[in-house]
Amino acid sequence: MVEKSKLIIGLTGNPNTGKSTLFNALTGAKQHVGNWPGKTVEKREGNFTYKNNKIKIVDLPGLYSLTAYTEEESITADFIFEEKPDVVVQILDAQNIERNLFMTIQLIELQAPLVLVLNMDDLAKQDGMYIDTKKLSNLLHIPVVVINAKSKKGLSEMMETVFAYSNSKERSKIKLTYGTEVNDELEKIKDVIKSNEKSIKQNDLNSIAIKLLEGDLRAEQKMTHRPYYLELNALIQKSIAHLERIFDKNIHSVLANTRYGFINGLSREIITKDLSRKNNDISEKIDTLLTNKYLGIPIFLIIAWLMFQVTFGLSEPLMGWLEDLFSFIGNTLSVLLTSWQFPTWVISLVVDGIIGGVGGVLVFVPIIGILFLIMAILEDSGYMARVAYVMDKLMRRIGLHGKAFIPMILGFGCGVPAVMATRTLETKQDRILTILINPFISCGARLPVYILFVGAFFSAYQGWVIFSLYFLGLVVAIFMGLIFKRLFSKNISSPFVIELPPYRWPVLTGLMIHAWEKIWVFTKKAGTIILAFSVIIWALASFPVGVEYGSRDSLAGQMGETISPVFEPLGFGNWQSSVALIFGFVAKEVVVGTFGTLYGIEKIESDSGASSLSDALHEDFTPLSAYAFMVFVLLYIPCLAVLAVVKRETNSWKWPIFMIIYTTVIAWILAFVVFQGGKLLGFN
Amino acid sequence: MNQKVLSQFKKGDKIEILGIICGREFTRRLCALGLFEGTEIEIVKNDNSCPIIIQILNSKIALGQGEANKIYGRKI
Repeated sequence: MVEKSKLIIGLTGNPNTGKSTLFNALTGAKQHVGNWPGKTVEKREGNFTYKNNKIKIVDLPGLYSLTAYTEEESITADFIFEEKPDVVVQILDAQNIERNLFMTIQLIELQAPLVLVLNMDDLAKQDGMYIDTKKLSNLLHIPVVVINAKSKKGLSEMMETVFAYSNSKERSKIKLTYGTEVNDELEKIKDVIKSNEKSIKQNDLNSIAIKLLEGDLRAEQKMTHRPYYLELNALIQKSIAHLERIFDKNIHSVLANTRYGFINGLSREIITKDLSRKNNDISEKIDTLLTNKYLGIPIFLIIAWLMFQVTFGLSEPLMGWLEDLFSFIGNTLSVLLTSWQFPTWVISLVVDGIIGGVGGVLVFVPIIGILFLIMAILEDSGYMARVAYVMDKLMRRIGLHGKAFIPMILGFGCGVPAVMATRTLETKQDRILTILINPFISCGARLPVYILFVGAFFSAYQGWVIFSLYFLGLVVAIFMGLIFKRLFSKNISSPFVIELPPYRWPVLTGLMIHAWEKIWVFTKKAGTIILAFSVIIWALASFPVGVEYGSRDSLAGQMGETISPVFEPLGFGNWQSSVALIFGFVAKEVVVGTFGTLYGIEKIESDSGASSLSDALHEDFTPLSAYAFMVFVLLYIPCLAVLAVVKRETNSWKWPIFMIIYTTVIAWILAFVVFQGGKLLGFN
Repeated sequence: MNQKVLSQFKKGDKIEILGIICGREFTRRLCALGLFEGTEIEIVKNDNSCPIIIQILNSKIALGQGEANKIYGRKI
């Protein structure tokens, strides 16, 4: 059999339809995750073979509607028109089939080469809802296949259908009529376009006319540079105004009326309901508890606490093991390279620079993996939507969206998954805003720094001091959130509307793939940038040649000396602090190790080591300056790994650079206030 | 006319939607979900402070109180 060139499939559908599960079932772990070019939306692509044919499947964003107002919506339309997939597969949730069919209509209007796949049919049957897929297929002139994405049933039948369809390329002949008034306006619009575009096909004409009437931004963009655009636009606006006036409704309501009317007629033909079997009870009961006005938040806090306990409990031993592993690798390489007569600087580069730097970040992997696994469980089961619901009221008061809560809570553990979690926010604006305030939330990596200083200077009040720092971080985050909102978003926060999907059991393989994917992305991207910077920092600590690693005479030390005056007013103008802060740029835990190295103390983990470091610190710090220092560490630049994921999520260097600058400025100001203010008040 | 905003109804009420006074973008989203003039929804939960939960077709959707204040309907 001759191998065809690659078959391209676009996978689309409503959210909560099991689209990811289907995608994972088809591609296994062989996925490539990136961003759509120029956008902040995640793009997932996978390749697999079916009967000797190569297939590329692209996971399009989950949407309720295809009218392009936001990035995600235009991506799907762009994909259909520009990449011209051989087949577009829309996955439908049988339990919500009517609403899912809304998108089907839009896909038909866009002339997509459509194959429908019905998922969760078993769950619908349990509820007493029976769908006649054969009839549906006949009425729409589109192939319909029943599958169970979780158990992977029906997948081969689906692929056969997709194949057969890609060869025939028949399109649905369904044409929705919108009623006389709307049709009249559509005809007017079509006439204007047709008279200017002699060669346009009727189907394309129909497609674009309806999109223009809907105010679809993408369709608009296609027309703006035409010479007749002004005339066309004036006509469109007039048509919309006219229709809104005579129907006394928004244009979208007018169109939805027809579309859902059609869907209604369709449902009556294909759905039979056996109401005696309706079984919503369990879901309802759970919800009454979880979304309860008074119990909702406490329940969530308990679950969140559990989440952290499990994460840190499980990851600590794993992280310790990884640290030992890297230590071992470092030592072994050191011995090996020495015996192979490599020059000292090479050994130092490999061991101190690369292994030390990169290892210090790879150590994050267990935390990220476990945290994301738990998040995936909460998300796939449907609970995450309830969290956003329950927290929305509080979040509104501080100017944020309910869904922004989850990234913020994750930030207490680690900034990297927190930034990655902002993907769930719908608008780019909300995503960036949440990302910008994230660094102020005290992450787990800063804890060692606090413990070091608090142990040395505040032994009586350790818990309180650390709590005060966490609290301060939260306050600053909220405050900056409000300021950014005031400054940068002219329009009001996006309205709160979220679907609360029925509770469903998450699929284990799906979860593992989710978590693995995030780990891999983190390792790859963060790893490359961090590797580069680790080498740079190593170089700063090792040169000029012959100098002791990380000493005052090294470049890093010199830099520390030069920068330290900046920190004078903050109370910690010693060169060691400056160097530690510079190195803390890579990862916050490094600050502690750096102090150890710079004060010439080995093994700070041991008790004797800890106390000698503590003594050493007393020479250069006072309790007040120690507190100011901790405030600075709390607030200044997020670590390299976080900056790397910010760059990836926002698709530009502009935001990470901005974050570096503004967090450092805020950190400086607040540490200044703390130190000077404290002095004025008589503290020391 | 027995017309009120959504936030004024209580659990179990079945409502026919009569009007939506939201921005164009939000209205569009509601329409895609199946909420527009003439359709029927049911109030699943409304405690007047948290977002309200309504049932549209076969799914549950949570709407902020602010948004619920801009949707008019009458009880059926």
